Amino acid sequence: MNNHDVISTDVLIVGGGPSGLATAIELANKLEQKGVKKRIMLLEKGASIGSHILSGAVIRPKVFKDLLTTKEYDGIPFDSKVTTDVTVKLNDHSQMELPFHPPYMSNDGNYIASLAQVCKYLAGIAESKGVEIYTGFAVDDMLYNEEGKVAGVKTKDTGVDHHGEKQKNYQAGTVVEADITVLAEGTRGSLAKKVIERFNLDSGKNPQIYSLGVKEIWSVPEGNIEAGAVYHTFGYPLKDKSEFGGGFIYGLSDNRVALGLVVGLDYADPRFDTHAAMQIWKTHPYVSKFLEGGNIIEFGAKTLPEGGWNSIPKYYEDNLMIVGDSAGFLTTARLKGVHLAVRSGICAARTAMSAFEKGDTGKKTLAEYEERVNKSFIHKEMYPIRNMRAVMQDGMLLGGLKMGVQLVTGGTCLFVPKVHADADETQKLSEYQGVPFKERFSGKLEFDKKLTFDKVTDVFYSKAMHDEHQPVHLVVNHPDEFQLSNIEKYGLSEEAFCPAEVYELHIDKEGHKSLRLHAENCVHCKTCDIKSPNGGITWTTPYGGDGPEYNYM
Amino acid sequence: MALTIISLMKQVPLPSEMRMGDDGLMDRTKAKSIINVDCGYALEAGLQMKNDNPDAKLIVCSMGPPSFEESLKKALSLGYDEAYLLSDRRLGGSDTYATGLAISTMLKHLGYGKGLNEDFIIVAGRQTSDGDTAHVPSQVAENMHIPQATFIEVANLVDGKIEAKRIIEGGYQMMKLPLPCALSFTPTGISPRRATLSGAVKARNTEITVFNIDDVNLSDENIGLSGSPTIVAKVANIKSERAPIKMSEGHNESELVSSLIKNLKSGKNTIEVKEKKEKKEKKRPEGYEEVDFRNGASGILTWAEVVKGQISRPSLELLTPARELANQLEEGTKVVTLLIGKDIGHLAQELIAHGADEVVVVDDERLEEYRILPFASIFELVINDKNPEIALFAATTAGRELAPRIGVKVDGGVTADCTALEIGEHIDRKNKKIFAPILESRRPTYGESKLATILGFVCPQISTARAGTFEVPTPDANREGIITHFKPELSEENFVSEIIETVIGEGGLQNLFEADVIVSGGRGTVSDDMQLVKELATALNEQGINAEWASSRPVVDEGVAEYARQIGQTGKTVRPKVYVAIGISGAVQHIAGMKEAETIVAINSNAKESIFANADFGIVGEYQDVVPELIEKVKGGFTFGLEVK
Repeated sequence: MNNHDVISTDVLIVGGGPSGLATAIELANKLEQKGVKKRIMLLEKGASIGSHILSGAVIRPKVFKDLLTTKEYDGIPFDSKVTTDVTVKLNDHSQMELPFHPPYMSNDGNYIASLAQVCKYLAGIAESKGVEIYTGFAVDDMLYNEEGKVAGVKTKDTGVDHHGEKQKNYQAGTVVEADITVLAEGTRGSLAKKVIERFNLDSGKNPQIYSLGVKEIWSVPEGNIEAGAVYHTFGYPLKDKSEFGGGFIYGLSDNRVALGLVVGLDYADPRFDTHAAMQIWKTHPYVSKFLEGGNIIEFGAKTLPEGGWNSIPKYYEDNLMIVGDSAGFLTTARLKGVHLAVRSGICAARTAMSAFEKGDTGKKTLAEYEERVNKSFIHKEMYPIRNMRAVMQDGMLLGGLKMGVQLVTGGTCLFVPKVHADADETQKLSEYQGVPFKERFSGKLEFDKKLTFDKVTDVFYSKAMHDEHQPVHLVVNHPDEFQLSNIEKYGLSEEAFCPAEVYELHIDKEGHKSLRLHAENCVHCKTCDIKSPNGGITWTTPYGGDGPEYNYM
Repeated sequence: MALTIISLMKQVPLPSEMRMGDDGLMDRTKAKSIINVDCGYALEAGLQMKNDNPDAKLIVCSMGPPSFEESLKKALSLGYDEAYLLSDRRLGGSDTYATGLAISTMLKHLGYGKGLNEDFIIVAGRQTSDGDTAHVPSQVAENMHIPQATFIEVANLVDGKIEAKRIIEGGYQMMKLPLPCALSFTPTGISPRRATLSGAVKARNTEITVFNIDDVNLSDENIGLSGSPTIVAKVANIKSERAPIKMSEGHNESELVSSLIKNLKSGKNTIEVKEKKEKKEKKRPEGYEEVDFRNGASGILTWAEVVKGQISRPSLELLTPARELANQLEEGTKVVTLLIGKDIGHLAQELIAHGADEVVVVDDERLEEYRILPFASIFELVINDKNPEIALFAATTAGRELAPRIGVKVDGGVTADCTALEIGEHIDRKNKKIFAPILESRRPTYGESKLATILGFVCPQISTARAGTFEVPTPDANREGIITHFKPELSEENFVSEIIETVIGEGGLQNLFEADVIVSGGRGTVSDDMQLVKELATALNEQGINAEWASSRPVVDEGVAEYARQIGQTGKTVRPKVYVAIGISGAVQHIAGMKEAETIVAINSNAKESIFANADFGIVGEYQDVVPELIEKVKGGFTFGLEVK
């Protein structure tokens, strides 16, 4: 590659979330113990560590004890220890608190936290151990050596206008050569997607399926909720069997509430709108009572890989390991992935150490990563419920029954429905037989800007910003097909599912329909990359430092 | 020795997060910090010069708390070779005068200056978003005794000289300057590059040199509050007096526009303005010593800027506050106006008619066009001769660079871009003194959210006044005054910078001040080169309405409109009856430039843009859909409620 600066490192980690930071810390520790000097670089596209981090989050803390020293562990800025833990079934006008916890849902001993804050803390620890962290750099390409094996990455060229023309401030991206590249990009990683395809890492696996979580943080009057209170809801406004998911309401310190609605993206209605559903959910008296008199302070959205064990691709190759959400390590039944992300990072780091000791970073050695995962609680937790998400397509009742069977049989279950990619589940406007989303909730889609918000207002609270002088980072793959199918047949379902109003269906006076893109609103949730019919949209990384600016998400 | 490019850079709080401490000084501890936007353009200008001069050394200098190292690291990651920070608690409270002195002292300490290494160029941002004065580059240049060019868009080093494009009212100027020199950059040139990863890796391993004032032999008497000729006496909030917007409703363009017309007919929303409580007469504390620090200085000096053979409108406006201040002072206080140019003697009577008591005419063929060095030298001579207590300049591109350079020459502070000027008094409770009479210069600051009152304790007390703020006085042809001619001796040193070309476009500034309707297009109108914006203005003209089109900054950046039509340059306020903002986001500078309009109509596709918070009527819709509809309505007789003359 001409004119690209080249730098070299021993280990390159792409992504500064819990899995990438855990990889960095564990590896730095191991290198220190063995007295080996290696360079570890970590790149993060967010303006700072935490800027693009969003999670519920109720965290199982135990794994951090394995990663950190006692002193380091004691300093983790968890928000509050879970004190109350309630699961509620919401009906249209009423609710019923369950007298027990669904399996896996107990939060005894867990902490409510801002994962962004936890990551900032972990980054400080990593840097103190010599890890070089560079924030605000987007990576948009993998490097392969002459044998076709992973050899590192290239950061994004900047100073290119929206037509792709180089400007006077053009800066060629930097080539980073690395012995081992660890992809820790989070959910639906754009590099992970490339390598999975290139090396057929998902062959024989179920497609990965996702949920979209839309979250707000509120400041509320004293007494609305106690710090440490955890409420999970299911039912209203989601329709059993067709929409899988539920809400969460967590009491934070300083009279703040984190709340959100998580919905599986395998629904069929092309007009289903998770953001709107979350607003409607907030109007349920059980939810709104927590928010009364308060105001929103932050907004964000994120997808979660929910396919479970059977959807995890092969997560290593020559010189390559994939960790955390990028690999799909998440326990759907717990709605938790942080502890698995950290554990996968630990496993990957130990494997990297072993590779350095053996002087071989090929897949033969890196296969140890899989062995480590299989011996860890990741396997223990994910394997027995490997069919959980699949059977939930049958709805909470029948699905719940089948789930119970799995718990007894260790995961085996008859009649496991086949899993399809989320995009393939969306039906055309003409095919969809149910009551369309907008009709189901007619009268509830006017947002008062006090309790409920339209998308643009919420986006304002995500602090999302994108330089307009760059190629549009949302790529319409086949514009003609997109027009004929996505717009004409599906009615631009992107407009409905995108929680940040990036996609707009414009209809002019003559009735001609067209797509208008507002890429600057994007909060990097990747839903479009996942749910767009026909694989219509590819999400690529915009310039580093652009995107949301989360603080306490 | 190879050329050195010195970039002066300031770190500022993110404009949206600015806070102020109780002492009226900036509280930098809480807000997220960025490199000041204009400084970013200067950094880029330096890097561009390095492209053509690969041997050049790039250094970046700043003055501020240790937290500024973050931005210096950023500059290093962009490609700068060395970084220096002057950081000392004793620098706290320095005004622009003291800042200019401190920075130039650091540069001399680094070996740059007349008689030292002279092979250097200083590049700086035009102004900072937390100060907005645009003074420091001029003050540094004067302290270094080097030529300067401010408001530069692009500059190239050609055959050992700088060729620069300087933005002026209504157009631009091509200038040529010898080295060493200082340049300040507008944020309209080449956008700052983003750091590369390799640059960030290099920056990580580069140390920043931090000096305290002793390291650079700077005495603490000359800096901080004690070294600053001006102080911030008071800061008040500026409250928006605009009632909430009326948004149009409708399912398509024609419904939206009809709704707009209906809304305009029914009138704006109103807010109850609370009657201001009668201000209690402040009791003057007893037993205080009254100090008249003027030491015999008397009179008000103003500058009559000549553009294309005419006295510029802002210079005439200036005579309004000058006259009022003279009336508030002792009887017989005179307004003296300095008129510099070639064959301009006949303009003196016009100045007298507008309120000047005396006009000092400097007529010299070398002075046909404004140039900072000779003009500053002439002012120094006239100030020494007349000993005025106050000197006022219109805050034009020329006034804003001239005033601070003169300030350094006469050891005085300058207050930039004022919107109110009054005579008052300053009560110093600590030392039990009352300073009176004193010029209270009020200026909007912190993104136009605060009104600061600045006082200077050295005569002349210098201020620049924002164009469009004061009315042009009604001329009285029979008014009498004195005209004196002054022939200064000016050395060739004053003429080392050349003006190669001055280009002033049609329309622009003057027409914008006089138009009843301004149709202004923003980034959202670039798609068709603002055709629809222009058509709307033309359609209004055809209806007999005095309408003019204008633009916001991004459009000028894209080269679609000339700078003269830009609303939201510092130092310019338009006040039409109706302002139609199309595809304009509503950046703070833009709002400041148009918020005095009687009625503001905003059209934008994005409902969250801040323009809607600053308008009376709004439509959320696409440019290419809504504007044609609007043009049709205008052709049918709709004139935004204005009567056709």
